[in-house]
Amino acid sequence: MKVVLYAVNEGTSYRALFTIAWEADQFYWSNREVHMIRIREIIPLGVAERVCRVLEKRWSGEDLGVKGDTPRRDWADDFRSIVHEVWAAEVRENGLTFEMVKEVGRSLKVQALDRLPQLARMVASLLEGRSLLLEEAVQLLDGLLPAEYPAAMHRAALQLAALTGAMQLTAAVAPNPVAPPLRGLRAWAERLRAACLPGLAASRRGPEVLACRRCGGKDKLRRTHCAACGQACAYCEACLTMGRSRECGLLIVGVPKSSGTPDQQSLPVPLSPFPTLTNLRPTSLADRWGLSPAQSEAAEAALSFILSPHDNTVHTRSRSFLLWAVTGAGKTEMIFPLLEAVLTRGGRALVATPRKDVVLELAPRLAKAFPDYGSSVLYGGSSDRWENRPLTLATTHQLLRFQEAFDLVIIDELDAFPFHNDPMLHYAAEKCQKTSGTTILLSATPPKKMQQAVAKGKLPCARVPARFHRHPLPEPRRLELPLISGLLRKQVLPAKFSISLKHSIGRGAQIFLFVPYVRQVDPFVNLLRDKAADLGISPEIIAGTSSKDGDRSDKVVSFRQKNTQVLVTTTILERGVTIPKSDVYILDANNPLFDEASLVQMAGRAGRSGADPAGFVFYGAPTWTNAQRNSIRQIRRMNSIARRKGYLHANA
Amino acid sequence: MPINFRSWFAPSEAACPVCGRNAVNSSSAIPVRHPTPRRILSSLCASCLRSIPWIVHPLCRICGRMERCEDCVRRKARNYALSRCAVRYDNTMKDWLALYKYRGNEQLESVLAAVLAFAYERLTGTVTTGFQIITAVPIAPERMRDRGFNQAERLARRLAEWYGLDYETLLFRLRHTEKQSLKSRRSRVVDMRGNFAAESSGLFSTSVASTGILLIDDIYTTGSTLDECARVLRESFHMENRPDVYGLLWARS
Repeated sequence: MKVVLYAVNEGTSYRALFTIAWEADQFYWSNREVHMIRIREIIPLGVAERVCRVLEKRWSGEDLGVKGDTPRRDWADDFRSIVHEVWAAEVRENGLTFEMVKEVGRSLKVQALDRLPQLARMVASLLEGRSLLLEEAVQLLDGLLPAEYPAAMHRAALQLAALTGAMQLTAAVAPNPVAPPLRGLRAWAERLRAACLPGLAASRRGPEVLACRRCGGKDKLRRTHCAACGQACAYCEACLTMGRSRECGLLIVGVPKSSGTPDQQSLPVPLSPFPTLTNLRPTSLADRWGLSPAQSEAAEAALSFILSPHDNTVHTRSRSFLLWAVTGAGKTEMIFPLLEAVLTRGGRALVATPRKDVVLELAPRLAKAFPDYGSSVLYGGSSDRWENRPLTLATTHQLLRFQEAFDLVIIDELDAFPFHNDPMLHYAAEKCQKTSGTTILLSATPPKKMQQAVAKGKLPCARVPARFHRHPLPEPRRLELPLISGLLRKQVLPAKFSISLKHSIGRGAQIFLFVPYVRQVDPFVNLLRDKAADLGISPEIIAGTSSKDGDRSDKVVSFRQKNTQVLVTTTILERGVTIPKSDVYILDANNPLFDEASLVQMAGRAGRSGADPAGFVFYGAPTWTNAQRNSIRQIRRMNSIARRKGYLHANA
Repeated sequence: MPINFRSWFAPSEAACPVCGRNAVNSSSAIPVRHPTPRRILSSLCASCLRSIPWIVHPLCRICGRMERCEDCVRRKARNYALSRCAVRYDNTMKDWLALYKYRGNEQLESVLAAVLAFAYERLTGTVTTGFQIITAVPIAPERMRDRGFNQAERLARRLAEWYGLDYETLLFRLRHTEKQSLKSRRSRVVDMRGNFAAESSGLFSTSVASTGILLIDDIYTTGSTLDECARVLRESFHMENRPDVYGLLWARS
């Protein structure tokens, strides 16, 4: 889009601004003692913002003296020269018309704008904590604003809200201000630059790099010719699925301009008296939410972390806390007291998880636990999208649409696809937390880096080493088997394997059979069906599923309903599916696709219920790999911690 | 940054521009002769390349449809000479076009243009006179502002670059119509009337009349857009030297 660019002389200070609704600016500046100069033509948003940034730097004095030129020229000359400098090519071609604005706001029809401040306040509160592209903001306002305000006023209201500093309008893709280096030679050069160093050391720090302000992506920008601004302008391919963020596109950030200075930002978690929390003991938590001793101890640790006074001197921006809970520990129950603590204090809480099916599963449970608080459920294609409610449940992609919105951010299954190893989603998770807020990370298998941070004491952490039913985790056993490819070629099942399978079937357990590759699922199902008579089951109760399977959810349901006894699958079912009485077979456990985390997750499918706490887990592999060894070590360590702390039943 | 020696020797892993997965380059045949579109198509992964439903043998000699075409039999007066389409507009192609056109993934532009190059090469096999001028069906200015580009024009410019044609803006759109796909066949033909006008400057600057004009669009459904554009183009010339207009479309639904 194109915008109007102008500069204001307020007597003591100068400002350069761009506007998407010129009448709003006239309205704002009218009746004030100001001089204004504007460009009559509308110019691309990206260019306008760059001019504003350069001028802000210059007029705030940061740039003075560095270049050694005359300290201060006339402000209008400054404006003209910077526009020429930033947009040299275009100015040469077509020329721009600069005009002084006389009698600001003279041509305004006042009665049309008298409701504008009221509307702007409403707009600012509706967009609070959001980070939206213009199309999204328009949708939101169309849906939520009362119909008495015409849609034509929305832009003006957005602009006025931004002028008053209640929120920010920026280009969606723009150069990130480069942070000064903290260490090393460059840092010294930076500090000494004012002292007129010669040569390379005196040169400014590297060029500003374009970045998407919504997703933080720098390396997936593509520059194409754009008809909306008439220039070659960049768009971000990383977050394209959430609407196109581009250099001449507007990003509306519902965060007041003054953010960053902690004293000005009112902390939305006032330390209001909360009777049940003041005398909080593990026993009371356990009573309230039905938590086991292991759960309540960890929940209490997390709770005291949330409620501890914020130490803003610590330079880590995100205050995060890791809840490392073994598979089947009852993570969801543990987040209830945390959510309650924030919600009762009037804060906003978010539960984010990488996968949509988990969101759908969790939504009714949360709604039941917190009936008094409104909650919105966000995922691709969800119906409630725009209302700001105290409790939000979302997939991690949806977090891109928020900025500094939540007092408590809970991220479930942080090591699961697609959150794991996606810098965009990590950025989104970080930015949606308020600067005064807290992030709680949940995982059964935190990534290596995080485990190291815990070991170094950089990341506070609470472990839940025991399952809610207070029995130890089943330890995997080794089963030396040939590779699946060999079994399929010869069409045989090794005796060792069929004996254990028969034993599992005999005890009435349902069986997860994990294989590494999608292409092995169907052949292996056929092999098992061929041998079904030997195993003593009917071929119909053997099924297979994978990520490429259209009726996966039906098959999972049938497995849950015990209509299927043996399910051959890939890592797609390594988490989320809980079967009360089940045994787990992992074939080709030596395959590099099965890393330590996914082995622990798969092994965690067994022994989930108190009625059958000791399911069997078998690693079927010809060789013994580090991943297998370490996963067993991790399970044993958790069991021994649990035993030592007395979380397990005495007879277990 | 640690130096990764391994990467010096490993084959470079390029992601497939359509599905984003690591491309396992296929050995299946690419039916385009020009080296640039060939290279672009070979950057697709095997499964994406296989899923392109090329129209290799058009059954309708006029509109290039895969099956027998009642529309062309029924139509009495036709303003374009003939048209060819590169692919059938099946669900996969629908997704590809939507990714490019509506989601704005302009990385796909080169792929779509390379697919269209197939139809161009087929058409030049049929029409021996050759073309000098290539143009595209325009979109309304407000649509252009929202989307940021005209897909037909972009494809046409790529073809012009590859095959040495002159791209000329010959048409502009007078009004913005509702989505074509929501209307019946009859109303499409009626609605199209008066949507386009010829850009006079483009026509007089070049000697168009000697050869045919190639008109690019993304989808052919009933041919009403193509026919209307061809009518406007032809009527802007004198009776005696009206050029033939040939349609070249990305997909045939």
